[in-house]
Amino acid sequence: MTEPSGSGPWDHRDTDAIPTQYRRADPTPLDGDFVGNRGRVFALALRTGIFTVLTLGIYRFWMKTRLRRFYWSSVRFGGVPAEYLGDPLEKLLGFLFAVVILAFYIGVVNLALMFLSYSLFQDNFVAYLLSFVGVVPLWFYARYRARRYVLARTRWRGIRFGLEPGAWGYAWRAILYWFITLISGGLLWPLMTFRLEKYRTDRTWYGDCKLEQEGRWTMLLPAMRHMLLALLVGGLSIGVGLYAIPAAFLLPLFCLPWFAFGLAYYRAKSFELLTNAKRAGDIVFLSKPRPMRVFGIYLWGNLLGGLVASFFLVPLGLAAVAMLGTLIGLENSTGMVLETFASGTLTLIGILSYFAFFLAWSAVTHAFVTLPLWAHFSETLTVIDPGSLGHIRQRARDDFEEAEGFAEALDVGAAI
Amino acid sequence: MSGIIPAVPREARQGVFFDGESAAAHEVRIVLDEGAGLLLLRGEGIDVTWKLAEVRLVPDQAGQGGLVLRSATAPMQRLFTAHRDLAESFPARHRPVKQVDRGRILRWALAAVASVALIVFVLVPTMADQLARFIPPEGEKALGDATLGQIRGALNENSSIGVRVCRDPEGVRAFDAMTERLAAGVDLPVDLTVTVLDHPMVNAFALPGGHIVFMRGLLKEAGTAEEVAAVFAHEMGHVASRDPTRHALRSAGSIGVLGLIFGDFAGGALVLFLAEQLIEAKYSQGAESDADVFAYSVLAKAGVAPSALGAMFERFRAKSGDAEGLAAHFLSHPALGDRIEAARVATPKGFAARPILSEAEWAALKGICAR
Repeated sequence: MTEPSGSGPWDHRDTDAIPTQYRRADPTPLDGDFVGNRGRVFALALRTGIFTVLTLGIYRFWMKTRLRRFYWSSVRFGGVPAEYLGDPLEKLLGFLFAVVILAFYIGVVNLALMFLSYSLFQDNFVAYLLSFVGVVPLWFYARYRARRYVLARTRWRGIRFGLEPGAWGYAWRAILYWFITLISGGLLWPLMTFRLEKYRTDRTWYGDCKLEQEGRWTMLLPAMRHMLLALLVGGLSIGVGLYAIPAAFLLPLFCLPWFAFGLAYYRAKSFELLTNAKRAGDIVFLSKPRPMRVFGIYLWGNLLGGLVASFFLVPLGLAAVAMLGTLIGLENSTGMVLETFASGTLTLIGILSYFAFFLAWSAVTHAFVTLPLWAHFSETLTVIDPGSLGHIRQRARDDFEEAEGFAEALDVGAAI
Repeated sequence: MSGIIPAVPREARQGVFFDGESAAAHEVRIVLDEGAGLLLLRGEGIDVTWKLAEVRLVPDQAGQGGLVLRSATAPMQRLFTAHRDLAESFPARHRPVKQVDRGRILRWALAAVASVALIVFVLVPTMADQLARFIPPEGEKALGDATLGQIRGALNENSSIGVRVCRDPEGVRAFDAMTERLAAGVDLPVDLTVTVLDHPMVNAFALPGGHIVFMRGLLKEAGTAEEVAAVFAHEMGHVASRDPTRHALRSAGSIGVLGLIFGDFAGGALVLFLAEQLIEAKYSQGAESDADVFAYSVLAKAGVAPSALGAMFERFRAKSGDAEGLAAHFLSHPALGDRIEAARVATPKGFAARPILSEAEWAALKGICAR
């Protein structure tokens, strides 16, 4: 993650500066690079996180924008960084728009459901169930819309990306494939991964160049191997432990981390397979992420994040204990004023450490999970251009004023 | 350049320019013309001039090895250069470029706040009022049971079963006697269920489906059984007009909207707040005085002087030192004095009152939480 020193516009050796007629016929590899460093993203996430807390959450639209600018500008292919051009205010606008629609849904629809549920079933379970089911399509809808917004605000070499409209089509497909995945006991997970990725990729544009997802879903099956093996060995050893050798019960203990590795393996392998089967015109990609590295980042990053963040929970715990003590002592105490003051201070300490916990968690995981993952996936990716990159033309701006309001309001859990 | 005097060499540097029309990179010479306040970008097929005052650094860049520049007036063009010292020549390099119209945002924000307010304060209450008329009795009872469960849970976070229900058999018998006497000759849409909660709050409230809930604190504060009966009759008035059902449906509608706006981490506090809202049961002034009028007739029929309600209000007012629970609710009511007066007036001259409970029953009622 050091500054590149032999490529890109910084020392003007970008191959596309060569006029087309003199260009070599052999493809030009544009190597991926990532220049952002942990310290800066940590400081940025911490600073903007504090502002977000101080502004009761309003600054989060700025926080998101600034972090994205940082991440986007870190990713470079052939030395040219990407650029994120989203505006915090349009995010706020989109959020307000989504809040109005959702307030209507949650207020009116939930009230009607509650009424029907109590009237017909004397219980509120049906209302909660239907209300939840009603939100599921909206959740996927929001994810697709958020992706459309983010791509429409991403540029590389001055050219916009774009995603065609199609959020409802995505929502029903996502529900269908999730359903298939669940009833197949997870075996058809690759089918979902592939089909949804194909749906998104086939609607993605870079300038006037349309991307395409090639390949078949079955090519992702080998990526499942570690997950399936861990489950198989774990299941078998429990069986053996029950009926033959009790010592076999020790094996499932190793299968748990193995399964966790399997998840990271699937993440890295499916990314590799899908990326290598993508094309943008005659531009192709070569991705070679290392599953062990991805697993290591998840494992150590989250452990470190948990460790650092839980350090800030210590005062909260102490305050809770002290407060409990105060409450018990209150019955036969005369120093009420003193106690009220003490409990006020304790509450303040509790609130502060609660927010400090989340701020620390967010900043540490940015520095030790999100950033290293981005770095690894970027550094192991190469764009192979046979010379057509320079011919790609600009696409029209996708105004999309709703931005990612629904995703923000529904908290669809986008990575960044 | 011809002439005797050689032209002053203007500093020239290299950079890569993207015109925003194609993805092709253009190698350019960057010429700083400080006299004219211009930045000249010259390359093969490229002849672009930016005003120095309009050149901006693209913000939050991760790379520290060079500059990414744009012009405020040419949104699509980008210039990359390794010459970081150039930055000094752009006086407004950190000024943000406005992309969204501020007035539009303000209009949208106002419209959003107005719409949410309309939904929470008009649409949901109107719907709740209409629906409350159509909910069948079993449904209403179930709604009341669920609400009572939520309130018990909210009042005692430390226990999974919630705050204790007082069930001393003598006390329950005394309450039954009072219920029977008050309910005789009153036509209520649902059967009454009386619950006493072991909680120090001075409070009583009605819930959907004929639930009337007393807190231990209110029984402790009351001077006579008649004062308890008066509060009871008032809550019966709310049951008769189905105020609690409307209220519960309203909060079912608003609970999620508030959760949506305030986000998840305040969720726990929100549930507590809403449970409190239910207990506080801030009905309209009209609903309160209707319940009072209902109480007068119930009390008169049962042989209890309606002025007992006024006596209970007086007690709340005297206790204004610690304003919490029902006391605070009534105290905040501007018309409390009027209501005390109305209760006095509602008692006919020479009203022949009969005690609602015997001395022994009253003692048992006060001690309902003893075991």
